[in-house]
Amino acid sequence: MDAAENTAPAAVTTSVAEVFNPPGGEWVRVSPVLARAYRIELAISFGLGAVLVCGGLLLLPDVPPVIPLVLALVALVAFVWIWIVIGRRVGSWGYAERADDLLVTSGILLRRLVIVPYGRMQLVDVTAGPLHRALGITTVQLHTAAATSDARIPGLTPAIAADLRDRLARRGEERSAGL
Amino acid sequence: MSERDPLSFEVFKPVGPDAHGRRRMHPLTPVVQSVRWWPAALVAAVTLPAQMEVSVGAGAILVGLGGIVLITAVAIGWNYLAWQRLSFWFDDDGDLRVQSGVLTKQERRLQVSRLQSVDVLQPLLARLAGLAEVRIEVAGSGDSRQDLQFLTLAEANALRNEVIARSAGVRHDAEEAPETLLAKVPPGDLVLSLLLRLETSLLLLMTVLLVVVTLTTAGPAGLVFVLIGGVPIFGVFAQFSRYYDFTVAESPDGLRLRHGLLQRTRQTVPPGRVQAVGFVQPVLWRKRGWVRVRLNIAGAASGSQGSGDQSYTENVLLPVAPWPVALAIVGRVLPGVDIMSIPLIPAPDRSRKRAWIQWRQLAVGWNDEVFVSRGGRIVERWEVVPHARTQSVRVTQGPWQRSLDLASLHVDSTPGAVKITAHHRDAIEVRRIAQEQADRAAAARAADRSLRWAAPTGAPATGVQDADAGPEDQGDASTGTTVLPAPDA
Repeated sequence: MDAAENTAPAAVTTSVAEVFNPPGGEWVRVSPVLARAYRIELAISFGLGAVLVCGGLLLLPDVPPVIPLVLALVALVAFVWIWIVIGRRVGSWGYAERADDLLVTSGILLRRLVIVPYGRMQLVDVTAGPLHRALGITTVQLHTAAATSDARIPGLTPAIAADLRDRLARRGEERSAGL
Repeated sequence: MSERDPLSFEVFKPVGPDAHGRRRMHPLTPVVQSVRWWPAALVAAVTLPAQMEVSVGAGAILVGLGGIVLITAVAIGWNYLAWQRLSFWFDDDGDLRVQSGVLTKQERRLQVSRLQSVDVLQPLLARLAGLAEVRIEVAGSGDSRQDLQFLTLAEANALRNEVIARSAGVRHDAEEAPETLLAKVPPGDLVLSLLLRLETSLLLLMTVLLVVVTLTTAGPAGLVFVLIGGVPIFGVFAQFSRYYDFTVAESPDGLRLRHGLLQRTRQTVPPGRVQAVGFVQPVLWRKRGWVRVRLNIAGAASGSQGSGDQSYTENVLLPVAPWPVALAIVGRVLPGVDIMSIPLIPAPDRSRKRAWIQWRQLAVGWNDEVFVSRGGRIVERWEVVPHARTQSVRVTQGPWQRSLDLASLHVDSTPGAVKITAHHRDAIEVRRIAQEQADRAAAARAADRSLRWAAPTGAPATGVQDADAGPEDQGDASTGTTVLPAPDA
């Protein structure tokens, strides 16, 4: 409670990075392959949507062809923008293992940081959809008794995911507490 | 318990356990389950022809009655099969086993040491027949609730006592623990408090709109249909009916809540099961100093594991009470916690740019036992979570908050009506509080012992999870779920 601490909040001096800093050391980042997975998913959904909407509009007799063209252009801009953002979004995922808890951070627009005590973990899920499996990445998700915890780490290579899962399970066992 | 229920005709004899110690539901169960939809069918039968302006002949009435009889007969048949296959018993470990299933047979084991709450419910029809449903919540991921429909009221109460006694670690044939009355909500207060809620004005507005629209489009004939079909304002009556005669009592086996006008509910929350407490005070209650108290109870909510299902039943500790009464009762739920003595740290002045109505109310505080957050100007809310019940801690920051260097702190509790959030605080301060809260929670967890509360210290902890963990494939990250052992302290 010294003077410096009391005056600190008055001025807007802190940077965003500081708030979402790792607890010491560095965040362990996820594999950049995750960005490729997201981009493939993006391309598939945008491609399908564009073909269906624009194709449908072109087939309709009373619609001037300008409308589907403009729509396609807007979609293309959005596509490029999201394509770029995906890189930053994947780069924002990070986790850090402390002695008693796991920290997970993510998000660029809506930033968040979750602190999950090992003693509170009820399940550790390791999942991978067909695309993620083909690219060799998996998602590790921790569940607590709270539905809002949402400690999910996507884009881990299978070996890292397995190690992490086993470490988390072991620590959870050592520190497990009642509800 | 001892008072006679004027609406109940307890004419049916209880069914005892069979030769193997297995117990069954009451044989009247299929009938009670199958006629539940009759009132709704009656309303539809009266209103639909009137609405469609068809005259109903004797033939149509006969067909309708025949349909009702047929559907009821089929339902009774199905429910009879379900009843026949449902049995429950306590196994050698003292856990409750329930066997059920018509097409797929299933046997569940409910670990009573992880009991979260036991309810004895009496829906109107069951109540008339003197029957009751027992609803048991245990902690666990997935579907952790077991409904047992229907037993005689005496049997249901006995089962409730037995489950609680086994959970507490005392002799399971112990007598029902004596209780002391803590609070009773007078019907007058309940009615007034419901009328002074903001939801009521909203429902009233919707009702007026609906009536006006109906009158202009369909004329007075349509109004009859609207009134019978239900107008939004009836929601207030549903609340009144639900919380009528609300009684809070305390006994060594936990908190007992009783309420209901038509459907009677008798809920028991063992000690240490309350995950979080929330106070809500709508603006019109402020002059009277009233407050509504809600609880989070584990299991009484989680529909599926993880983030998917957010549905929950609202657990109300007090529908309306003066602040001092509410604080006194919460003091029993969270022993030794004096919420009013906790110093609160307000949000910084610049939070007014983000939350221009409620910014003055935003505050957090903590002491050795609990974490408190406050907020809301029009509906003021206080949330209290014991450190030992903290699940995880989150910091979030949106773009608007970032421009003001603010962030929000969330202390995650089990799913429920109470969400502990400290909005719009200095970002660095939030990060520091989050870290400290995680440490406080860890320390509190280490010191906590609330399971098997009545048992002597060092009661055996049998920790077998009902879900199957599956073989551990070391080193191979093939997908799957690792289930941690049952957290028995």
